[in-house]
Amino acid sequence: MTATSQSTNHAVNRPVHEQTRTAQASGSVHRVQRMRGPDRASKRKWGLEFGHWWWALPGIALVFAVHYMATGIGGFFAFTNWSGIGSFEVVGWKNFEAIFNDPTKIRSLGNTLFFAFGSVLLGNIMGLLLALALNRVVKTRYALRTLFFMPVVLSPLATAYIWKFIFDYEGPINVLLNAIGAGHLAKPWLADPQWAVWTVLVVLTWSSTGFAMVIFMAGLTSVPVEVEEAAAIDGANLLQRFHHVTLPALRPAVAIAMTLGIVQGLRVFDPIMALTGGGPAGATETLATEVYKQAFALGNFGGGAALALVLAVIILFFAVIQQRLTRSNPED
Amino acid sequence: MTQHRRPAGLKLAVLALPTIAALTLVGCGASSDATGGQTQEFSLTFATSNTVESPYEALAKQYMETFPDIKITLNPQPNDSYDQVVRTQLQAGNASDVLVTSPGSASGRSILPLVDAGFLEPLGESAAALVPEGSEELFGPNGEVYGLAPEITVVGLVANDTAITATNTAFPEDFAGLLAQCGPLSEEGKSLFAVAGSASPNTGLLGMQLAATRVYAQDPAWNEKRSAGEVTFADTEGWQRALEAVVLMKDAGCFQGGAEGAGFDGVTKALVSGSSLAAFIPGPSNKQLKSTAEDQDFEVRVLPSEGGPSEDFIYASANYAYSINAASRNKEAATAFLEWLAEPEQTKAFAEIDGALPVTGLEGYDFENSAYKNVAELILENRYAPLPNSEWANASVYDELGSGVQGLLTGQQTPEQVLKAMDAAWDQ
Amino acid sequence: MFRYTKLTLLREIGLWTLALVFLAPFYFLITTALKSNTEMYTTSPLALPQSADFSAFVAVLTATGNSNVLGGLLNSVIITGGSIVLLIAMGSLTGYVIARSTRRWSKAAYYLFLIAIILPGQLGAVPLYMGARSIGLTGSAWGMIILYTGMLLPVSIFLYANFFRGLGTAYEEAATIDGATRFQVFARIVFPMMAPATGTVTIFAGLIVWNDFFTSLIFLGGSDNQTLPVAMYYYIGSLVSEWNSIFAIVIVSMIPILALFLFAQKRFIQGFAGGLKG
Repeated sequence: MTATSQSTNHAVNRPVHEQTRTAQASGSVHRVQRMRGPDRASKRKWGLEFGHWWWALPGIALVFAVHYMATGIGGFFAFTNWSGIGSFEVVGWKNFEAIFNDPTKIRSLGNTLFFAFGSVLLGNIMGLLLALALNRVVKTRYALRTLFFMPVVLSPLATAYIWKFIFDYEGPINVLLNAIGAGHLAKPWLADPQWAVWTVLVVLTWSSTGFAMVIFMAGLTSVPVEVEEAAAIDGANLLQRFHHVTLPALRPAVAIAMTLGIVQGLRVFDPIMALTGGGPAGATETLATEVYKQAFALGNFGGGAALALVLAVIILFFAVIQQRLTRSNPED
Repeated sequence: MTQHRRPAGLKLAVLALPTIAALTLVGCGASSDATGGQTQEFSLTFATSNTVESPYEALAKQYMETFPDIKITLNPQPNDSYDQVVRTQLQAGNASDVLVTSPGSASGRSILPLVDAGFLEPLGESAAALVPEGSEELFGPNGEVYGLAPEITVVGLVANDTAITATNTAFPEDFAGLLAQCGPLSEEGKSLFAVAGSASPNTGLLGMQLAATRVYAQDPAWNEKRSAGEVTFADTEGWQRALEAVVLMKDAGCFQGGAEGAGFDGVTKALVSGSSLAAFIPGPSNKQLKSTAEDQDFEVRVLPSEGGPSEDFIYASANYAYSINAASRNKEAATAFLEWLAEPEQTKAFAEIDGALPVTGLEGYDFENSAYKNVAELILENRYAPLPNSEWANASVYDELGSGVQGLLTGQQTPEQVLKAMDAAWDQ
Repeated sequence: MFRYTKLTLLREIGLWTLALVFLAPFYFLITTALKSNTEMYTTSPLALPQSADFSAFVAVLTATGNSNVLGGLLNSVIITGGSIVLLIAMGSLTGYVIARSTRRWSKAAYYLFLIAIILPGQLGAVPLYMGARSIGLTGSAWGMIILYTGMLLPVSIFLYANFFRGLGTAYEEAATIDGATRFQVFARIVFPMMAPATGTVTIFAGLIVWNDFFTSLIFLGGSDNQTLPVAMYYYIGSLVSEWNSIFAIVIVSMIPILALFLFAQKRFIQGFAGGLKG
């Protein structure tokens, strides 16, 4: 049995191990007994058969200091009228009331969800297809993988600027449209009230596809080639093989790619700032771009902080749902 | 931390350590690592980019050459994020001794909110002497001066005069003539103006320039009245006409194709290639444009008013200033530097490097041989005011104007909606 | 089984065509970087450069002062490399313990990290800066490494914990019985099997740290240790930006991270399955 095929049946591992362990233990009684004392204590208290609880301590401490303390202090200002500098007054829930009374926030929320779910869905589908297509046999797969990964490597500033070129009024898309006699369709894509959100979505998807591909590639390494071959010999077609062999093994990768994608997608702001700045006239504004503008550009840190907390709650909501969905494995 | 309620003993152990660590992290942020004592050494933070020669850097270097025993540590910052860097450093107590700020309250580096927060040091008489007439309140409350103005920035149009000459028509003299010129130009595939519709600082400047003659020339105290709540944007007829003028200009074909989506690069490109004749950008840009296209002449002009040349009115003010950090330990050295900067030779050199007008001695300035010859009369006759947004209540008002003008260009918004949004931002 | 057939050839050709379309935007990156300053503003972005002009590359690579690209490159490599190593070490250890524990505290810890991924980091920027400054973490490469490790650790732990959950405990059982200590079990048996997770963390964290502009701008402000993205931003002017120089830096900065990707995919992602199959 290979290590990779191991992971596919891990759900039934534990009871089997308990048995083999007691059966084999008699072979080296002395050594096992010597280890048992602290082991048992550790297992009872920390639920750990392997590793020590304190291995997690540096990680927890650092995350606590960098994330919880710092953000907690910053989050406190959501209840103040702090401008970002100088003195402030505690104003209670006023900033939150202002958010919920502002109709433009609904549009920003809509855009936020549209960009996040749109880019995650499209990026993951394309990433999965690419990972599958490039998984085996194709001779130039290394070169191709690197090529498809290149957009991810590009800095957000360069990505935005290149796409601005492409969507520019005098850019290649409009040149092409004019050349084929469809000049009436030419428009300033990034400043068109109807089209701007779609152009932004294209760019977000373009730059996230390669990363989804990498996660799926990592996940595909756990698909045992023997099982797939056996299924193929048994006459399973491509779709069946995907559904019964590949997809179950990919489940962890899907969970990771979706969770990270949605969390990142809901708060993505620098590509949007660089592409449209939230324009035209707010048509591509998201909660994340508004947080940035309020807290840093417009000197309303309190309002921006309140909005950031609202956004965090929204992200948490979707992340938890997402964790539940991908975890609800039928075999569990 | 409420989600950790269950295993109590463990929880305490796990939480205690990082909490202590974090508390030491956050505690006592006051100690400063700036070089101690009153040494002849200080630091200077300014915004810059590699695309232009920085007058801040040039003068600091000249100062060090003149006084070899003084060392200035230069902390240049990229333009884009200057405000945020300076605010963070001021808040944390380790900002440079000398900072570049901006008079008024319109941006993240503005003097008035920084003074409110206690971050700036009041300056002496030499700085007060350089405050442009009519801008006193932008340099500090209660008659105090917190910034040293190194130059006067004229904000009007920057026009490509080589391209204007090539069209065989004179630059329009009044607003009606302007509208009349737009159509024929756009039929030639050119445009009178280039606008960066997607950059709210640029669309905002377009809106404010249209308001120069329609609002501020007639009612110089309009901003004070707005602060007092006596007037609003939406109720002011001049502001309505200013924004309606944007729509008129758009409909007449005054802006380049796709203007609503263009950025600053688009403006530069249109001006340099001569496909657009003028743009709504600050005067010093003439120097940057010239360095991009040396065979063409770029001149500062005023946006033609409805009543013709006799009614023209332009914006001119100090847009930037040197300030001293209140927490500086090298105030003496910093003050000496500012005294030196206030001397006429230095202000002259500064303006020359930046392509602006000097803050003193305008009466004797050689307008004829500068990019400012077309606006000399306005400046000398005092027909100018500081940029109005430097007196507005907060940065959001100007942001609403900028994004609103883009909305006018795309047809998403009406002038009335934009003005109401500006009022709402003011009163927030 | 799974041989190279005509269909595979077709697939290969199709994928190359797709790659060309997908990478079309890079055409502008390369042609712009090869244009001179004047050409940039006078020709269409679609046009090929009149002649390949490497002056932008020469200019950025020899630049000093604000835009010391070579120095920035070195700092970026040190900071990115150091952060990746720490993230792998701390992330795998923490993720392992959390995934292996059957008690509730581990579930709570798992959510502690998941929530940390979600927390709006922007809010913590100023307190974090003040804290980091008071204990001397600002202005130095190692300070940045600790900061980036702290910032990205939740993601790293999240990735490892998820990968560990998909791995059975049979090998650990066997090794324990053979008398290996817990750390030996982890370092010799479990960690090598986490290669796909390590590869993913390397790429994910490496990219973020490599391209991050704002954190290094603020936290390294006033020191000589600036990173590559900061060096790049000095070419953005308020009106005129030298996009040829910016893109030359972008191209230069893509090389190390693509090399890292190639290394990660060979060593971690592909090598793993291939090595075990043999």
